[in-house]
Amino acid sequence: MNTILLLVAIPLLIAVFGLFPRAARWLPRVAAALLLLQLPVVIWLVFPVLLHNESVATNIGIDGMGAAFLIITTLVAAAAMCQAAWLLPAERPAEPLITDKRFCIFYTLVGLFIAAMYGVLLSQNLGYMWIAMEATTLISATLIHYHRSRKSLEATWKYLLLCSVGIAFALLGTIMIVAAQHTLPGEGTLHIGTLMQRAAQCDPRLLRFGFILCLLGYGTKAGIFPLHNWLPDAHSEAPSPVSAMLSGALLNCALVAIWRLSQVMHAAGQEQLVSQLLVPAGAITVLAAALMLVRQHDLKRMWAYSSVEHVGILLLAIGIGAGPLFILHALNHSLVKVALFLLAGGILHLYGTKSLRKLKGLIVVAPVWGGLLLAASFAIAGSPPFGTFISEWLILRDTIAGGEYIAAGVVVVGLAITCIAVINHIARVVFGRAPSRVIAPPRPAWAVVPAVLLLLSLVAGLAVAPPVIALLTRLAQVGGITQ
Amino acid sequence: MEYSWLDILAAIAALLGVWMCGVIRMRTLLIGLALQVAAIAGITFYIGMTTHVMHFLILAAVVLVVKAIAIPGYLAWAAEQLEIREDRGVTMAPVLTMLLGFAALVACYFEASYIAVPALGNTGAAGMAGALVLLGMLLMIGRRLAISQVIGFLVMENGIFLYGLTQTPGMPMLVEMGVIFDVLVGVMVSGIVIFRLNRSFEHIDVTQFRGLRH
Repeated sequence: MNTILLLVAIPLLIAVFGLFPRAARWLPRVAAALLLLQLPVVIWLVFPVLLHNESVATNIGIDGMGAAFLIITTLVAAAAMCQAAWLLPAERPAEPLITDKRFCIFYTLVGLFIAAMYGVLLSQNLGYMWIAMEATTLISATLIHYHRSRKSLEATWKYLLLCSVGIAFALLGTIMIVAAQHTLPGEGTLHIGTLMQRAAQCDPRLLRFGFILCLLGYGTKAGIFPLHNWLPDAHSEAPSPVSAMLSGALLNCALVAIWRLSQVMHAAGQEQLVSQLLVPAGAITVLAAALMLVRQHDLKRMWAYSSVEHVGILLLAIGIGAGPLFILHALNHSLVKVALFLLAGGILHLYGTKSLRKLKGLIVVAPVWGGLLLAASFAIAGSPPFGTFISEWLILRDTIAGGEYIAAGVVVVGLAITCIAVINHIARVVFGRAPSRVIAPPRPAWAVVPAVLLLLSLVAGLAVAPPVIALLTRLAQVGGITQ
Repeated sequence: MEYSWLDILAAIAALLGVWMCGVIRMRTLLIGLALQVAAIAGITFYIGMTTHVMHFLILAAVVLVVKAIAIPGYLAWAAEQLEIREDRGVTMAPVLTMLLGFAALVACYFEASYIAVPALGNTGAAGMAGALVLLGMLLMIGRRLAISQVIGFLVMENGIFLYGLTQTPGMPMLVEMGVIFDVLVGVMVSGIVIFRLNRSFEHIDVTQFRGLRH
């Protein structure tokens, strides 16, 4: 229990600081520093999970999957808030609507949002997981409307409504999973470990129905095609550090929920249903997102659709039961996508627009940013030597080895289209004729966070070796330490 | 066939849902919602009395206070502030929506056994719960104003709650309370967003939001 309290201490501290409007001057830097400190704290706290492999018997605890994603979530949050420490104060003079009070409340909500995401990852109980997931929706909806524009308000409403309704289906599904245990003596349980032991004797019809409803619900939150409708709006209208967290951390949380449910279904002997649903859904999501990427007019919307594409790949990994590759690709995607959203935030500040038609000649205006954007775009499109290439390659290999030839073919076509579309759009942004004057002077120091993230992605790509895969395999088995 | 109080109250809740699909006036719609929740709280109370489990009695009281009084009261206050009297629906006349809702109810009545747990003997209530989920969706699709969509969501949530109540031996107390708390916060947050929508667009007609269609 102490571990859990230590884990959420720093996010909650940031949330408390945000309640004081006078903190507006120092809060961005302090929050960034605290979250950087949180990173070693989380690694230290989850370290025992790497060594032990007991099953988690309590409703709240860290299992292997939780440990991996706790680190990813913290990394994403720390990177986003480090960039926010210069981006948000730099934007404030142009935004009279954002008073000190509103600015600080933003940080309160960020702290709560991080804590809620931890809640999803720590829940070893489907009921608690649902509650934490809905909490992330409610908190992040208010974060999207930070800039107080009409479009962001519209995006907030769409996000709030679609995700709440979607997740209501997940609640119905969760209840059906309890109802499915009527064949067993005693009351139904929601604890994932116990559920996995009991799954084989459950009423298969209700269990399957429950799983499908949960998939619909958490799938809406993860942005599976055609339930992705809210995602490009929310991710493009939110302030860039929030877009980075939504894309790099929150989507992962929803996918972890789907992974855990898929494990329950595996234990029930229903793995065929899991792969029948997830593999086609993943492949179609990749292809649909790729086609939508071709015609894009907005830099941040483009990265949002690219997130949909990567959700498709991750779903495919869950569908074929490749836990270690799911973690690996989620890490690679989060690293690069966060770098891209943070760069987009800087470019938006520099040019005052995110319209792809007006963004030109970045390499002349800010050479470091231009170079980074180009490298990161190649990384997100899945080019070697970045990590995304390795994980996509391994997922495709396993898909083909599993006999899912059609899905693999569809994904390959989707990936090829994505690569062409992204590079085509980005080449025009990076090269081309620079505008005569840009709004703000570029500062190369602001590129440090994206550069570090890209470097990590490069390391992640080069470090994939049998021992790493073995470690990830260990983590992917549901198990961990009892808190 | 004998009907228990549980079946009768579930049927009342579902019929109120059908009726709400045809209601135009916002006040009446909210009264319908409050009555529906009261019927469901009645079922919770009834289960508590027959099984002698304290948990259900507390739950009934919480549901009654939060979902039948606080939430409809808050929405009524918000509607008054926004000067909203009625919601005439999108393309379909509300009366037609009501007929569609009735058809959904009948279908759910006959197909209830598909989602019901036979051992608990509440097959009829399972159908009513399924119908409420569909009716909530119908309300959301058929209405123009953001506030009516929140009401539709709440009807859907009532259906889910009813299903959990009648088809499981009881969800853990902490989970039930967490869900109710989330719903309460959700309504509050959507209320805030609706006020902001009204301030910057000067209306809350969701069919008129077009800024994000690229």
